[in-house]
Amino acid sequence: MSFSWLAIWQGLPYLLQGAGLTMIISATAMLLALALGMVVALISQLRWKAVRWLVRAYVEAFRNTPLLIQIFIVYFGLPQLGLKLSPFLSGLSALTLYTAAYNTEIFRAGLEAVPKGQHEAARSTGLSPLQEAIHVTIPQAIRISFPALGNNLVSLVKNTSLVSTIGMVELMFVANDISFNNFRTFEIYGAALVLYVILVLTVTKILNLTESRILLKGR
Amino acid sequence: MNLSVVVENLPYLLRGTVSTVEISAAVILLGTLAGVLAGLLRFVPWVAARTGVAWIVEFIRAVPLLLQIFFIFFGLPAIGVKIPTFPAAVLAMSLWMMANTAEVVRGGIQSIPRGQTEAARSTGLSGIQTMRHVIFPQAIRRMLPPFVGLCTILIKDTSLAAIIGVFELTRAAQETIERTFRSFEIYLVAAAIYFCLSYPLSLLAEQAEARLQRQ
Repeated sequence: MSFSWLAIWQGLPYLLQGAGLTMIISATAMLLALALGMVVALISQLRWKAVRWLVRAYVEAFRNTPLLIQIFIVYFGLPQLGLKLSPFLSGLSALTLYTAAYNTEIFRAGLEAVPKGQHEAARSTGLSPLQEAIHVTIPQAIRISFPALGNNLVSLVKNTSLVSTIGMVELMFVANDISFNNFRTFEIYGAALVLYVILVLTVTKILNLTESRILLKGR
Repeated sequence: MNLSVVVENLPYLLRGTVSTVEISAAVILLGTLAGVLAGLLRFVPWVAARTGVAWIVEFIRAVPLLLQIFFIFFGLPAIGVKIPTFPAAVLAMSLWMMANTAEVVRGGIQSIPRGQTEAARSTGLSGIQTMRHVIFPQAIRRMLPPFVGLCTILIKDTSLAAIIGVFELTRAAQETIERTFRSFEIYLVAAAIYFCLSYPLSLLAEQAEARLQRQ
């Protein structure tokens, strides 16, 4: 078989749809993982030992096991316990829990990197602990965490490819689907490679622009 | 939960674990050698080599490993390059390891102040001697924590080889589940085994990082 541009041309609309879904899934999982990661990181700042230990257990368990196995546990394993989720919900929750474990660690480091003087200054101006967290600590922690969170988002975009294994539709799934039907594996997977590069470079570019703005604003 | 299923099938899962460790070791060895070479190529005086390596590294790092594996295993045969499952998976993962190690090496070398190079060159050392005796020995300490981190990611990512049918821990778990239908227990045990492989390395990376911060 010789190289067929036609196969790529015909597959392109479907592939682009897949790329769009990859971005939507990544954005949704990242937003959820940011919220979850922040909440868990804040909880880890509490003084109770048991809570800290639980947070640590969550973070280490999800960071030190393969995402693929986590996806399989949610999709194939949980129904055995009576919890049956669709491929979409299974994929989304596994991606979210996995990414949130990394985000927790990043936020925790960010919160701890906020200088102690900030805390003393905030309290001495009469802010309550809650006001201090919302107006002083968290904004600074987010700024400190931004580059690491950005790297995490880039990893997430690539990691979404794993949910194709449980039938969640995104770019990798679409590439499998097309090449399974027309046998143009070289062209279609090649096109998917290029699309992923475009997605990742776009996300990286946006992150870099945002980062320089955020950092400038901080000066 | 059915513990007897776990106990009965543990030996099979452990056979898969041995394969996972073997694949990881092979990939880490191949990928690291290639990666150190590629990382050093970023500092040679030839622009073509520098940019070529930079492009390859960027490209590999921008694509999902799963797609790389599929491209090599399903895509290349369409243009006449047939590679069996095991070498295909090892090749794809080694390329991944190479690209990421190259970035670690580049970052480590660039973190060494320029004055070191200038001082070394002014004492009469050649470019290669400077790299070998002055820059690299200092940079390697800074490379260590991210490199160990890479190894833990790689060990977890060897699970992707199961999707094209390579026998390792995840594949062993899948085959066990096909026989026993106890997916929850078996995947949980597989996860626990991966944890035992990955966590000690994570701790090592953390310690190396902490030691570096204290200096």
